[in-house]
Amino acid sequence: MAKALKYLVVVAGALVMLFPFAWAVITSLTPDGAVLASPPDFTPEGAGLGAYERLLEAMPFWRILANSLWIGLASTALQLITSAMAAYAFARLPFPGRGALFAVYLATLMVPLQVLIVPLFIEMRTFQLTDTYFAVLAPTVASAFGVFLLRQAIQQVPREFDEAAVLDGAGHLRIFAFVVLPLIRPALATFAIFAFMASWNSYLWPLVILRSPEFFTLPLGLAELHGRFTTEWNVVMAGSVVSVVPILILYLFAQKHVIASVAQSGLK
Amino acid sequence: MKKTIALLALAVLATACSQGSATRDTTPAEGGKVTLRYFTFSAAPDHEKDLDKIVQAFEKENPKVDVVVETAPYDQYFTKLQTSIAGGTAPDTFELNYENFVTYASAGSLLDLGTVAGDTAPTGFAEESLNSFKHAGKQFALPASFSTVVLFYNKELFEKAGVALPTADWTWADEQAAAEKLTDKKAKVYGDFQPVQFFEFYKALKQAGGTFLSDDGKKSTFNSPEGVKAATWLVSKVGKTMPTEAEIGGTADYDTNLFKSGKLAMWHNGIWQFAGLKDVPFEWDVVVEPGDATKASAVFHNSVAASAGTKHGKEAYAWAKFLASSNVAATTRIESSWELPPVSDQAVLDGYLKDPKPANRQAVFDSLKSIALPPVIKRQQEMQDAVTQELGNAAAGRATVQEALTAAAAKVDALLG
Amino acid sequence: MSLATEQAPPQVRRHAAPPRRTAGQRWRYAGTVAIFLLPSLIPLTLFTLVPMAGSLWVSLHEWDLLQPMRWVGLANYVELLGEEETRAAFLHTLYFIAGYLPLVYAGGLGLAMLLNRAMKGRNLFRAVYFLPVITSWVVVALMWKWLLNPASGIVNWALGLLGIDGPGWWTDPTWAMPSIILASAWKDLGFVMIILLAGLQAIPGEYHEAARVDGASAWQRFRSITLPLLSPSTFFVVVISLINGFQVFDQVHVMTGGGPGGATQVAVEQVYKMTFEYGRAGAASALSWLLFAVVLLVTLVQVRGQRRWVNYG
Repeated sequence: MAKALKYLVVVAGALVMLFPFAWAVITSLTPDGAVLASPPDFTPEGAGLGAYERLLEAMPFWRILANSLWIGLASTALQLITSAMAAYAFARLPFPGRGALFAVYLATLMVPLQVLIVPLFIEMRTFQLTDTYFAVLAPTVASAFGVFLLRQAIQQVPREFDEAAVLDGAGHLRIFAFVVLPLIRPALATFAIFAFMASWNSYLWPLVILRSPEFFTLPLGLAELHGRFTTEWNVVMAGSVVSVVPILILYLFAQKHVIASVAQSGLK
Repeated sequence: MKKTIALLALAVLATACSQGSATRDTTPAEGGKVTLRYFTFSAAPDHEKDLDKIVQAFEKENPKVDVVVETAPYDQYFTKLQTSIAGGTAPDTFELNYENFVTYASAGSLLDLGTVAGDTAPTGFAEESLNSFKHAGKQFALPASFSTVVLFYNKELFEKAGVALPTADWTWADEQAAAEKLTDKKAKVYGDFQPVQFFEFYKALKQAGGTFLSDDGKKSTFNSPEGVKAATWLVSKVGKTMPTEAEIGGTADYDTNLFKSGKLAMWHNGIWQFAGLKDVPFEWDVVVEPGDATKASAVFHNSVAASAGTKHGKEAYAWAKFLASSNVAATTRIESSWELPPVSDQAVLDGYLKDPKPANRQAVFDSLKSIALPPVIKRQQEMQDAVTQELGNAAAGRATVQEALTAAAAKVDALLG
Repeated sequence: MSLATEQAPPQVRRHAAPPRRTAGQRWRYAGTVAIFLLPSLIPLTLFTLVPMAGSLWVSLHEWDLLQPMRWVGLANYVELLGEEETRAAFLHTLYFIAGYLPLVYAGGLGLAMLLNRAMKGRNLFRAVYFLPVITSWVVVALMWKWLLNPASGIVNWALGLLGIDGPGWWTDPTWAMPSIILASAWKDLGFVMIILLAGLQAIPGEYHEAARVDGASAWQRFRSITLPLLSPSTFFVVVISLINGFQVFDQVHVMTGGGPGGATQVAVEQVYKMTFEYGRAGAASALSWLLFAVVLLVTLVQVRGQRRWVNYG
C-alpha cells in the first residue's frame, strides 16, 4: 500500500516535470501561426519538422553546434581536472592560509557575473584576445563551485583509505589519482554535468566577447532567432529541444557511470 | 581514463590557443584594403540577405573597402555595443535608433561626420529626417531607415458587425464607438489593441495636444489635462475593448497572434508587420491613426553612425552614406518591405506603393505629414521604464490615472535633475 | 545510536597535525600543494579575481561605459544606500530566498530519499526529474507563464474546479514573486536531488543494516544516520542555494523583467539594468559589492556554524 502510494507520488511528480519538455517538443512540431494557441493544442494539425528545417537554414547550424560541443567538452574536462586537484588540496593538504584561500574561492561565487563582464572584456582586449575561442573558454576553466562540491565529496571519503596508501609509501599524486578519484566518481559525474551545462548555456559572456559568426555558440545562434519584431516560437522551441539533447545524453551517461562506480567501489 | 582526459585537455588547449593567435583585426589586409566593421540589429534574421546585397553593391563601387557585417538581436545589441565601446573595440560603423542617438552623441562616442565628408555632403535625404540626427549642430549620424505606426483593421469583422470602415478622418471618439460595437467577449473577439506603454503615451499625448517635456527639456510637462486625457484614453480600453494584462498573461506576441487569428478588429502597430500578414485568410487594411485634438503618428527612426575612434573615418562615411541614401539601398529596402528609406526622391518611394497589400499603403506616407517623435533625454531607458511602469499601475487599477501621472512626472523630473 | 561513531576513525587521527619535516621535505610538500592548487588558482586569479578587482575599482567611479570613468570615491555607495530602489531590491531578493530555499530543499530531499531506494524505473524517474534542470530558462519561463496564465492557464482552471477564483499570478504584484519562487523551486528540485543522491549513495549501506538489526525504526534511522551523514551534502546545497538565491536573475529577467510595478525587481536585475540600460555601470558595481557583503556575511555565518552540525567522514 505504502509502496503504491510512493509510486503514485513519483509518477505524478514525473509527469509534472516532463510537461515543459513535452510542451517544447510539441510546440516545435507545430506549424507557424498555430503556435502558442490558447488553450494549447496538443495534437496540432499539420505537425511536422518544418521548424527544424528552418533552424538549419537560419544559421550555420552544424558549425555552431560543433563550436558549442567542443568548447563544452573542453571546458568540462579542464574544470574536472582543475577542480578535483584543488579540492584535494583543500580537503587533504593542510597549509597555512588554507581556510582563507578557500574563502576567496567561495567569494568569487558571490559577485554577479553581470558586473564582471566589462572588466573581463577590457582585460581580454588588453591581451588582444577578444573574438577568440580562448576568450570564451578561459574564464570557465576554474570552477569555485566545482572545488566546493568536490571538496565536500573528498571530505566524505574515510581517511583510513588514503592513510593506508600513505603507509604503502604512495605520494599525494598517486593517492589522489588512484584512491580518492575513484571513490568520488559519483560527485565527479555530477559535477561533469554542471560543468558542461555552465559552458553549454553560457550566454552573456560569449555574446559580448565574440563577434565573428564562425565562433558563435548555440545560445548566441538561438538568440539570433528572436527577431526584433517577430518571433517564431516553433523555431525557438526546436532550437531549445536541440540544445537540451546533448546534456540529456551526458546526464544519462553520467548516471550510468554513477551507478556502476558505486557498485564497483563496494561502498554499498 | 584520466590520461585520456588529460590528453584531450591538452589537445583542446592547443586548439584554443591556435585560434587565439589567429585573432582577426581591422588592420589593413593585403593590397591596402580597408576592413570596415558594421554592427546592426535590424538585419537579422530576416533581412541579412538584403543587407548582403547592399554591401556587395558598395564594395563594387569601393573596391578598397571590405565591409564586415556583425549582427546581434535588438535585446542584446546595446549590451554588446556598450561593452565594446568601453573596451575600446567599437565597430567602425554601427546602427543607432533615434531614442539612443542623443546618449551616444553627447557622450562623444560618435564621429562628427562633417569632419570626414569633404565635399560629398549628404544629399537626397528627407530634410527632417536628416536633422533628427544632428546634435549640437553637427551631423553625428545619417538616417538609414524609418517606419511608422498605423491603425490595422480586420475588414471582415467590421462588415460582420455592420460598422463603417475606419477613415483618415477618424478621431478617438470614432475609434472608441467602433471598438465597443466590435468587441464580442463571448466570441473572444476584441475591438481594439493598443499597448499601455511609453511609446503609445507620448504619441497619444501629442494627439491630445499636450507636450511631454518643457521647451528647454528640463522639466516634464505631461502631468497636464492633456496628459490625463491621453493616459485615460489608453487605460480605458483595457478590459473593455481590449484584453487585460491578466488575460494577455504575458504571452509573447499575443496581439500579433490575436490579429492573425481574426479575433482583433483594430490594432495599433508598425508597418514592419506588413510582411508577416501577407498570408492571413481575411481582408485587412491600414489607415492613419485616429487623432484627438490633432493627428500625430509615431515614427521609429534608425540611423547609421561611425565610432569616434575609427581609423577609417572616410570609408565609414562613404559606407554610411551608401547604406542610407544610395539607390541600391533604398530600392532594396522597399522591395523587401524592410522599413522605409529616408530619401526625398518620390520616384523611389513610389515603388513602395506598388505592393498590393495592404491596399491603402498611401496611409504610410500620409502618416508622415504629422509625426510625433519620442522625447529624448540622457537617461532615456530609465524614463521609458518609469512611464511604462506607472501607466501599467493605472491600467491594472492599482492607481488612478492622475496618481500614475503624478508619480511618473516625479520620477522623470528626478531623472532630468 | 552509537553505530556511526563506532565505525568512524578515531578523532586523534582525523585532526592530526602534519608531522614535523625537514626543510627539504617542507619544500617538497609546498611543491605538492602548488601542483594541486595552481591549475585552478591561476585561471581563477586571471579571469575572476582580476575582473573582481576591476569591478571594485569601477564602483568608485561614475561611468556610463561610453565616456571615460570619473572618480567619485564612495559616492555611489552613499547614493545607493539612500535610494528607495536599493532597499526594495534587497527586500525582494530576501523574499525570494525565504520562499525558494525551504521549498527546494524539502522537495529535493524527499525526492532523493524516494529515488535512492530500489524501485522499478528508478533511473528513468531520476532522469525525468532532472529534465527541468537542463532545460533553458527561456523555455521554462514561457511554459510557466502559460501554466499560470490568469485567464486561460491550467492552474487557475484547476482552482476554478475547486471553486477558488485563482489570482493574477505574475501579472499581479502580490502574486508575482510567489510565481517566480514556484517556477524556480520546480526547476531546481532536480539539482538538489542529484546532489543529495550522490551524498546518500556515499553512506555505507552497512550502517543502515546494522541499525536495522538493532531494531531502529525508519524515522530513527533517518534522524541518526541519514541526516548526520548527509550533512556535508546538505551544507553544500544550502550554501550554494543561498549564494545563487541572492543572485537570482535569469528567471526574473525572462519571466517578469522586474515587474509588474517593480514587484520582482531583485538585486541582480537592478544591477543588469543599471549597467547596460541605465548607463550607471559604476553604481551597478557598487550595488554588486553591497550584495557581495551581504552574501559573504551569510556564508561566513554558515561556515562558522557548520562545526555544530556538519559531520565529515
